[in-house]
Amino acid sequence: MPSRRDAVAAEIPRLRRYARALTGDDGEADDLIQDTLERALARLGQWRDGDSPRKWLFSILHNLHVDGLRRKSRRPPHVGLDSVGADHSAPAADGASGRDLDLALQLLPSEQREVVLLVGLEGLSYAEAAEVLAIPIGTVMSRLARGRGRLRALMGYEGGYEGGGKSGQAPLRRVK
Amino acid sequence: MTPERRISEAELHAYLDSELTAEDRAEVEELLAAQPVELGLVRDFRDLNEAIAQRYASRLEAPLPERMKQVLATMPEHGGAELASGRRRWMQVAAAALIAVLAAAAGYAVRGLTVPTRSPESAFVATAIGAHSVYVPEVRHPVEVGAAEEAHLVQWLTKRLGANVRAPTLSPLGWKLVGGRLLPDRGLPAAQFMYEDGAGRRLTLYMRKETGLNNTAFQFAERDGFAAFYWVDRPLAYAIAGRLQRDELMGLANAIYGQLEQR
Repeated sequence: MPSRRDAVAAEIPRLRRYARALTGDDGEADDLIQDTLERALARLGQWRDGDSPRKWLFSILHNLHVDGLRRKSRRPPHVGLDSVGADHSAPAADGASGRDLDLALQLLPSEQREVVLLVGLEGLSYAEAAEVLAIPIGTVMSRLARGRGRLRALMGYEGGYEGGGKSGQAPLRRVK
Repeated sequence: MTPERRISEAELHAYLDSELTAEDRAEVEELLAAQPVELGLVRDFRDLNEAIAQRYASRLEAPLPERMKQVLATMPEHGGAELASGRRRWMQVAAAALIAVLAAAAGYAVRGLTVPTRSPESAFVATAIGAHSVYVPEVRHPVEVGAAEEAHLVQWLTKRLGANVRAPTLSPLGWKLVGGRLLPDRGLPAAQFMYEDGAGRRLTLYMRKETGLNNTAFQFAERDGFAAFYWVDRPLAYAIAGRLQRDELMGLANAIYGQLEQR
């Protein structure tokens, strides 16, 4: 049986990747992971023996993220959308579309972004995502459909298909 | 071509995310073959997933910042070990509580015949809590030797206690070492380290040689509004005490145990 420390350490790369995509910022993402690890350490007793710590750690991360958003929303925003885009120039290795994707994700409502990333990037099942976010599976599915539809439109896939209906009208080819 | 039923949006995503049974999957695949619009959507969403994975892949390789390594270092090493399981530990605590109740009932039954004696373990915890409550309110002299001389403090206490004493690092959890002192405990030398958090709350870690203590299981105790965890890691017995919630104290006990245990 791997040690608890090793099991938690093994999850960190994925947690960091997810937090980076979720927050759109390296520093903010790592602050979130740091807080997640500290809270996890203080609540090790909640982690049931034999379980993979993945869901547990992702739900801690989710709760901290939601708390953070609540705090932020009480403060007036001081960064405009234009500067959000400018701040996130992607490393060259990530390709030219990196920044667009980063920005497009940030333009999704946080609830949709979470589901799109937990399922699409981290490969959680609908049931796992529902558990992590403490919402019903039906809600996971509707947020996923809406989020992906919006992301597709934001990324300029032709037709601007938005989830929630008329999929029959969406064209096949994309602009880029 | 006969008009087939259209694939629903939910089905389309469930197909993409491998959430369908083999049967439903086969059905959707068949429908997709005749529904180019939906097929295009599946491809777009798959492309988007790949683009996201590629965009953030570098984060998987990013070296861990020092502060994350520090938190990890304070985590208990052993997964299946007795002390690593919160649940099992709570069962021990519950069992200890039950034994205490039974012992009290038994004591009550024979009251007048025997003088109730306190177990050496609970006496140890009571001493630790007592030392905590005496020194924690001190503003000017909470410790004998301050954290600025930590190396000297640890060396001195190691010598006096006759066992390898260490002051665990709790700063990743927000607790700073204030310092420590030497104390008498029924003729034995004992040591106390004091920690303080950003809110000014204080926590003490008390230790002495485990001489005379039989029960080495992790135990929780509450007394006069203070909470304490007790454990033995030979050759020393430890107790941490503070006016904290059980969960928080247990997290700290875990961290301390994890650090002291690794040599």
